[in-house]
Amino acid sequence: MRKFSILNAPKHVLLWIYAIVSLSPLVIMVMNSFRTTQQMATDPLGLPESFNLVSYQKAWITASFETYFLNSMFVTITSVFIGTAVSLMAAYVFARSKRRVFAILEGLFLSGLLLPVFLAILPIFYLFDALGLISNLWGLIMVYSALSIPFSSFILAAFFRQLPIDLEEAARIDGAGYFRTFFSILLPLVRPAIATVVVFRFVPIWNDFFYPLMLMRDRSAYTLPVGLTRFFGEYQTDWATLFAGLTITTIPLVILFLVASKQLVSGLTAGMSK
Amino acid sequence: MRKALSALGLIGVAALVLTGCAPAADEPAEEATTSASATAEPVDPVTLTMWSWRTEDVEKYNTIFDVYEAANPGVTVEFEAFLNTEYNQLLATGLEGSDGPDLAMVRAYGGVQALIEAGQLLPIDGLVDTGSVEQSLLAAATGRTDGNLYGVPFATQTLQMFYNKGIFDELGVTEPTTWDEFIALNEAIAAGGYTPMALGAKDSWMLPIFHEIVGAARYGGPEFRDELLAGTSDFTDADYVASIQIVDDMTEYMVDDVIGVAYADSQIQFTAGTAAQFPGGSFELGNFTTQAPDMELGVYLVPTPPNAVSSKPLAAGWADGSFAINTKSENQEAALNLLNWLASEEFGQLFVDEVKQFSAIKGLTYSDPVMKEMNELFASGPTAYINLVDMRYGDPTGSTLIGEGIQSMFLGDMSASGVADKLQEGISTWFTPGA
Amino acid sequence: MSMKMKTGNKPRQHGKMPILIGTAFVIPALALFSVFILYPLTTALSYSFFSWKGTLRGEFIGLENYVTVFTRAPFDEALPNAFSHNLLLFAGAMVFQNSIGLALAVVLHKIGRVKRLFQTMFTLPYLVSPLVVGYLWSLMLSPLFGPVNATLKKIGLGEFALPWLGDPTTAIWAIVFITAWQWIGFPMLLYGAALGGIPEEVTEAAEIDGASGSKRFRLITFPLLLPALGTVSILTFIGAMESFPIPYAVGGSTGAPAGATDVMALLFYRTAFESGDVGSIGTSSALAMLLFLFIFGVAVVLRTSLARAERKLYDE
Repeated sequence: MRKFSILNAPKHVLLWIYAIVSLSPLVIMVMNSFRTTQQMATDPLGLPESFNLVSYQKAWITASFETYFLNSMFVTITSVFIGTAVSLMAAYVFARSKRRVFAILEGLFLSGLLLPVFLAILPIFYLFDALGLISNLWGLIMVYSALSIPFSSFILAAFFRQLPIDLEEAARIDGAGYFRTFFSILLPLVRPAIATVVVFRFVPIWNDFFYPLMLMRDRSAYTLPVGLTRFFGEYQTDWATLFAGLTITTIPLVILFLVASKQLVSGLTAGMSK
Repeated sequence: MRKALSALGLIGVAALVLTGCAPAADEPAEEATTSASATAEPVDPVTLTMWSWRTEDVEKYNTIFDVYEAANPGVTVEFEAFLNTEYNQLLATGLEGSDGPDLAMVRAYGGVQALIEAGQLLPIDGLVDTGSVEQSLLAAATGRTDGNLYGVPFATQTLQMFYNKGIFDELGVTEPTTWDEFIALNEAIAAGGYTPMALGAKDSWMLPIFHEIVGAARYGGPEFRDELLAGTSDFTDADYVASIQIVDDMTEYMVDDVIGVAYADSQIQFTAGTAAQFPGGSFELGNFTTQAPDMELGVYLVPTPPNAVSSKPLAAGWADGSFAINTKSENQEAALNLLNWLASEEFGQLFVDEVKQFSAIKGLTYSDPVMKEMNELFASGPTAYINLVDMRYGDPTGSTLIGEGIQSMFLGDMSASGVADKLQEGISTWFTPGA
Repeated sequence: MSMKMKTGNKPRQHGKMPILIGTAFVIPALALFSVFILYPLTTALSYSFFSWKGTLRGEFIGLENYVTVFTRAPFDEALPNAFSHNLLLFAGAMVFQNSIGLALAVVLHKIGRVKRLFQTMFTLPYLVSPLVVGYLWSLMLSPLFGPVNATLKKIGLGEFALPWLGDPTTAIWAIVFITAWQWIGFPMLLYGAALGGIPEEVTEAAEIDGASGSKRFRLITFPLLLPALGTVSILTFIGAMESFPIPYAVGGSTGAPAGATDVMALLFYRTAFESGDVGSIGTSSALAMLLFLFIFGVAVVLRTSLARAERKLYDE
């Protein structure tokens, strides 16, 4: 391979320049979590004076971030799981069946992508109120799972379509039913697609503050982003604690992404050496 | 779909019915008005929830309500605050749902009309003693179509010019009393290497505020307002246009590209000591004292410019919100008791001392020297922040129109009279004078 | 020379899946979707046909809200203004976000072990909460305190140190840039996955046959990426039409400066949540309905033409 050839140098330089652009706001965020709001008021971009963990303490303990963290974990993981699972099953049908009914359904699901988030808040609020789901985390989970369907089914169906039919036909000749084919043969093959879908659903659900703010009125049901909104005042913002809270909120996403991108790579190589 | 519509229809009917059931004037209301915070007999334990957008004041309100709870055994007040930018929607849905608050802070003037017209707030005429409240501010909680009172205003804001006393002393300058002194002051500050005025022109809502601070005297404050509301004048009035022109002239004393400076940036300019003055509202006080505790703050009113209609400098002010009761509250009597207390001097004084903002209650004492001075300045030349107080009852709002207009003016795309035209045209779509 | 791809020749659909099995697979998604998306969506859109007093629904007024939205101030100017910005965001995203994303995917494809490192660094912005993206970038681009202008001045490019977020001409492009900053991981990863699906033997065979790098890309790689391209394009279109968190965070709900960053979602938001008009639920729902119909129409057209292109490609 030509990994170390001199021709690669400009490529690497450009990549690193863009990496700096990419990361600088994040670096600022983390740096500021070690400073006080006053320091930021006098010098917005200065370096932290010390490894000041006061804001983290304030966020975690005083602002009950532990509870919010657990709630976020529960809601996000469950929503992504349910959303991906039901979308996988639907995507399989969309990709493999020629029937008009399913084509229409696929279009219907896709149209769910066109729904701006806050448009439906009133009807959803009334629906939840009627079902007693206000301040119930399961309500959030149902909404998020449903909201994942358009995107996930779209991407997964596209990937399913890319797979050659030979394997399934071979399995059928061997007598395997549709369910078995789905579970044991197709699922492992679309692992990269699943990883993609999981990452691109986990992040927006984890970071969403609007639905939990509107639907979880009880503080014990708050998720991390809603907890963060409490640092935003009308005229004053508690920047220091906010940035500490933000860093706490972002770390799990980074971990998830690192793990998922590994899956992506291994999934791709597995797919090629079938 | 039909089921959805009929469900909606049911909700609508239910809301209407409830409005009809709201306590009207014929309810026995005497007992509610007499016992404010006086020693009440212990009642059945009741918890009153109150919602607000003041996330930064939660602890302070808890302290304040401790006083009420001590005087009213059995009553607990739970104060909850939510993100300011989504609060309106949160409140509207919360009042509609089954788990809403008993009381809530509501926006002032135009901002509360939707809640009133949907019948979500309890009319309190005759049920609450509002004698201690500054009467002109009651408009903030009055229904525009029915004229009933729905809440008790709790805070007022005033506009003035803040300045850094340290920088003034360093440069050997003092508060100006005439327009020429004001200009000379700004020139001196600029020569001394500081930015004379910090303004976040990128955030358009600051611009009508700035306009009132430098221009209110020019267009004639209260007299103009009376004419405007009566219909004998409008925003295209020559004096009003001239007041907008002043705003443009003042950009000379701000940083270049002020249009790119965000509100938060402008605050930093002031707290970091690169700008000597900050034209702003009394709501900035809390911010400045926490961000720059070592800065000595001064305030003054911008002197009257040449050809000003008003003979004295003016300070614009407005009510910033009110306390109101949810029509669906199951604890209306207890809520009314609390609301009466919130209209009292005792609460007003606690509010001033703890929250450090101006209360809507009359005759209070301000221990903070800057607050005291702001209060005196306001009393010396009060006027209303017209674009907020009167011009938010429809869409587009006056403050948005003039804010966008001034931005265009700063960019050189619109003249001062163009801005006035834009403002007048926009509000004419819903505003009828003499109403 | 035409290359017959092993993966491209066979038909890809059974057509023979029993309807019961198909339904069983689809029912869970359909149930969730109907209750929590379809029902609220249709209800919300139905609001546009009524008059409103706050949250109290008034009488049926047919298309009156729609007429208002096209003819009355502020909508008569704000609507076309915001809409044009959405289209601009789409064009900008296609040109910058997607082509750079593709370029990055291609470059990283063969870069070896640092691939994951770069992928991670370029995708990390996606993880930043929308609550602070606006604040962070306002700070970065601030003419007073921001490192961007400070750096430009230091390296002698001072005349480019513009008030990015304050100048109407640059503000909308700042939003295109910030959106690209946040979302570049998406096309990059999708194209990367698609590239990974192209068997190496094919490109190597072409190389042995003497085809140059760009020719290989044009004739082999690019056509095989078409499905991925189609997917990314549709999603970019929808994203651009519904863009909200970034314009809101950067320009506020009025699309400062002077409406230069106003987009349809912002118009909807301030009509629904910040308007002084008590009938705003009706007008904002009408706006949302119009946006929905437009996106729907275009998405359908895009989808059918892409499907047709795909079929043509594989039926040769």
